[in-house]
Amino acid sequence: QREEKQLEASVESLISRVAHVKNALHSFIYKLENEYERLTWPSVLDNFALLSGQLNTINKLLRNEKTPSFRNQVIIPLVLSPDRDEDLAKLTEQRVPVFSHEIVPDYLRTKPDPEVEEQEKTLSTEAARIGPDVAQKQIQALNKLCTTLLEKLSNPREDRDAESAAMRQSKPSFNPADTNALVSAVAFGKGLSKCRPPGPVAPGHQGQGSMMSGGPTLQQVTIGGGSGQQAGMGGPVAQQQQGQTGKMPSSIKTNIKSASGSMHPYNR
Amino acid sequence: MEAPPVTVMPVTGGTINMMEYLLQGSVLDQALESLLHRLRGLCDNMEPETFTDHELVYLLKGQQGNPFILRARRSLSHPTAPWHLRYLGQSEVGDKSRHALVRNCVDVAASHSLPEFLNEMGFRMDHEFVSNGHIFRKGAMKIVVSKLSRILVPGNTENTEHLSLSYLVELSVLAPAGQDTVSEDMRSFAEQLKPLVHLEKIDPSKQRH
Repeated sequence: QREEKQLEASVESLISRVAHVKNALHSFIYKLENEYERLTWPSVLDNFALLSGQLNTINKLLRNEKTPSFRNQVIIPLVLSPDRDEDLAKLTEQRVPVFSHEIVPDYLRTKPDPEVEEQEKTLSTEAARIGPDVAQKQIQALNKLCTTLLEKLSNPREDRDAESAAMRQSKPSFNPADTNALVSAVAFGKGLSKCRPPGPVAPGHQGQGSMMSGGPTLQQVTIGGGSGQQAGMGGPVAQQQQGQTGKMPSSIKTNIKSASGSMHPYNR
Repeated sequence: MEAPPVTVMPVTGGTINMMEYLLQGSVLDQALESLLHRLRGLCDNMEPETFTDHELVYLLKGQQGNPFILRARRSLSHPTAPWHLRYLGQSEVGDKSRHALVRNCVDVAASHSLPEFLNEMGFRMDHEFVSNGHIFRKGAMKIVVSKLSRILVPGNTENTEHLSLSYLVELSVLAPAGQDTVSEDMRSFAEQLKPLVHLEKIDPSKQRH
């Protein structure tokens, strides 16, 4: 009698747990079907977590010492009729209206599905094949991997941050000196203006007019008199250019004159 | 053909004073890929756009000290596109708390005769460079990652050499004057690019000397 009572109690609690799972699944499916546009991944994860928690409780319940072994119980259908059974229909929410020959194999099945059986068989033959030593080694390797991973994950955050910070410092991704150089180049042409090889701009260049066609050139060479004047006339830009051109011969000077003087631009 | 009547007033006014808010930084060549990946994730979803531009900077020397600077830019990858002429004013000093460099900005498009026109006006080309790289956009913010190259023979854009081993990264927003919330948005975006790039306000006048 004690066994019977235990059986009853465990079956009831099992029924209630399964009902919870069913409700959770029901609401989840509803959500997926109707609100899929608004669904976010975290809420889907929440649903899955709920289901997994409920399955866990069912498992715990089954493993509980107080539950008698269900394997010892056998369910035998006593009456099978192809007629519609109203009570059964109400009990199962219209899912099982008829207790007939078709549904019995599905609902009262105790052996796993044929595919699952096949897979289990292959797995067990595989396991038997590789031999106990190899199996043991594989088990140990897996255990070691798991423990190292767990350690890494459970270590306090500061350790991890220190490691990654050290890694980042050894590979700087930008050079502040380069930043300055590039910014000055864009802003006022530092390093851009005078770096041409001295060959083509040799002092023999007399015809200034030819340089005004097409792409305007930067440097207008003036030889002879007036060169002393230009040093003073060039604005800060010119001064800087002159200071930087270490490799340019001193016979080349920039000549940036304003057009407000009545000089004809071609007359240089 | 008759000259147009002098009484026709030129079109003035009606333009909003646009300010350019700017933050600059640089990134080494090795880190370029990771920066591009990060930008592709952070910025608006569009096909990554590369560009190759040739920029010429023209100076007009007045009697006073400061020359008037105009920047003419043309695309080498789209040779038929119009030239782009830009004026950038002095950077607004004042608010130390403002996180970006702010300066007045006027942009116009111009035809292909721009260099000759500027020469006739009296401008002289000061320097030129070629920049090529990628451009990204996030809302109103424009992020440009570009490699500057020096032009060895003037007028010849094929013969160039890289100015440095880094790419220049610029974050800029064009906004009407007076909107200070823009610099806050720029700064929070710049935070997201650390530690790959440090985008900051670099005052060019401090670099000069």
